[in-house]
Amino acid sequence: MERECGEIRAVRQWRDRLLALGLPALLLAVLLFSLGVGYYPISPSQLVRAFFSWFGVQGEALPQADVILKLRLARVLSAALIGASLSAAGCVYQGMFRNPLVSPDILGVSSGAGLGASLAILAGAANWGVQLAAFLGGGAAVAACCLISRRSAHSQTLSLVLSGSMVMALCNAGVTAIKYVANPSDVLPQITFWLMGSLTKTDMEALLWSAPPMAAGLAVIFVLRWRINLLTLEEEEARSLGADVGRDRLIFIAASTLLSACAVCLGGLIGWVGLMIPHMARSLAGADYGRLLPVSAGLGAGYLVLMDDLARSLLSVELPLGVVTAIVGAPFFVWLILKRKGG
Amino acid sequence: MLELQNVRGGYGGGDVVKGVSCRVESGEILCVVGPNGCGKTTLFRLILGSLPVTGGSIRIDGRDTGGLSPRELAGLVAYIPQYHAPVFAYTVLEVVTMGRASHFSAFEAPKRIDREAAWAALEKMNIEHLAHKKYTALSGGQRQLVLIARAVCQSAKVFVMDEPAASLDFANHQLLTEVAEDLAARGYCVVMSTHSPEYSAAGSKILLMSQGRAAGFGEPREVITPENLEQVYGIEMDVITVQDRYGTERTICLPVRANHGRGS
Repeated sequence: MERECGEIRAVRQWRDRLLALGLPALLLAVLLFSLGVGYYPISPSQLVRAFFSWFGVQGEALPQADVILKLRLARVLSAALIGASLSAAGCVYQGMFRNPLVSPDILGVSSGAGLGASLAILAGAANWGVQLAAFLGGGAAVAACCLISRRSAHSQTLSLVLSGSMVMALCNAGVTAIKYVANPSDVLPQITFWLMGSLTKTDMEALLWSAPPMAAGLAVIFVLRWRINLLTLEEEEARSLGADVGRDRLIFIAASTLLSACAVCLGGLIGWVGLMIPHMARSLAGADYGRLLPVSAGLGAGYLVLMDDLARSLLSVELPLGVVTAIVGAPFFVWLILKRKGG
Repeated sequence: MLELQNVRGGYGGGDVVKGVSCRVESGEILCVVGPNGCGKTTLFRLILGSLPVTGGSIRIDGRDTGGLSPRELAGLVAYIPQYHAPVFAYTVLEVVTMGRASHFSAFEAPKRIDREAAWAALEKMNIEHLAHKKYTALSGGQRQLVLIARAVCQSAKVFVMDEPAASLDFANHQLLTEVAEDLAARGYCVVMSTHSPEYSAAGSKILLMSQGRAAGFGEPREVITPENLEQVYGIEMDVITVQDRYGTERTICLPVRANHGRGS
């Protein structure tokens, strides 16, 4: 028995080390690879030369490569940040609601943020105004879900998903109404195009607006992540272990909502990532949030960067990123439901 | 050790527990007995601090638990819930390590000392071979042992178990009784609710509850009487004392009916 324990421990340590070293390396490789992918492919040697010239080391890059790289860098970093944010938020929501079937999009948080942001765009608000409106919209959506599911006689798992789809329908109706009254020459295409879920128009400025609140949200969750474990237990049990359940839950839900809202501001409605990635991360790293959360964020970043590569290179016309993630994610959801039924 | 003085409390719509007093020392097991809805679970929630005490006081080691934070309270009372299934497939070691949550700040993760405490608790329960198994794949009895190990490494003084025997078979029930006695022998104070006071171990005390009040408190012999039980449960009851094959005296509570056995 001793020996078996030792062997299992060795396997676990090996797995943890692989995750701790392999995942960041893989992520970095994906980021670098993705800088070269697109309508105007950039070769690795040009990539290296451009990097050197940015840091003033030596040599000169081709001017067009330089320009495209700067645009593409903003885009790749945005995809990574959105992927990490949505996956971390999904991971946290699943723990907070003790429900593996929820995510920012299924809870209606993304739609709520989309509605808030659309209203702000319609009102001609500045960049920070759009972000604030998105956060408020997302917060209202998650609050509505909590209230409805708490009063419902159905099981929590079912009622959360149901109230989420209700909130989503309501928000989408709101967005449609806004589109109907929006000025078709400028505001309408802006809202429509952005809500599709696309990184085509992402630039450094948009990234710099969204990155600080996203980094803050990720940092809060990352630092406190082990505590999420306690909140996946029943309330009474969590409390008896020393958790201040109400306060902790509020902090985590607020941080996840901030992450989801910023992700929507930066890239529009990009679905399924927040549901799919936490499940993949859980099967890789186990249930403990100490490992699960970083693995989930890292996987999410890499995944969304790759999906964006697909979006811009699959066809001669660029596909909206939200379309690509839906095509991959929806079958995954079906598989998840079937798997749960089977045991 | 654990001292309840005229404790009152409930869910906002009036008190469910309406004045309960009792006192248990370390090394003792308190069995809370009473019909469904008599306020056992509410009393436990009051002791655990998840419901506010509206009257009277609860003291552990002389400290009033009223003003304590969850983290401070976790150092005094540990809760062992009934058979439960967490949503996510934690390993046994991860579940037990959660018992250490009150030993480090919210910004920290379990350290080496916490993992060692978790291993020590697993060893005390003789379940270290389960450490890397998924908690969700264990049997009901094994889960109870894991939760007890978690409470042990929490290093609280009072263990609260809400109907620990509810879903266990004879063998696991017997195991649990032994574990509870063992915990008491190590100086912990164990508080548990049960529907079958005949199992209540030697050296334990009984709190008989009825409609939110204490209908009796003291030695099992004094409290578990036909008169008391009939008054509390509203049916005729016999209390039978027998000797088992090892000569130990056992008490069995038996509901009886006038025409029982005659065929009606």
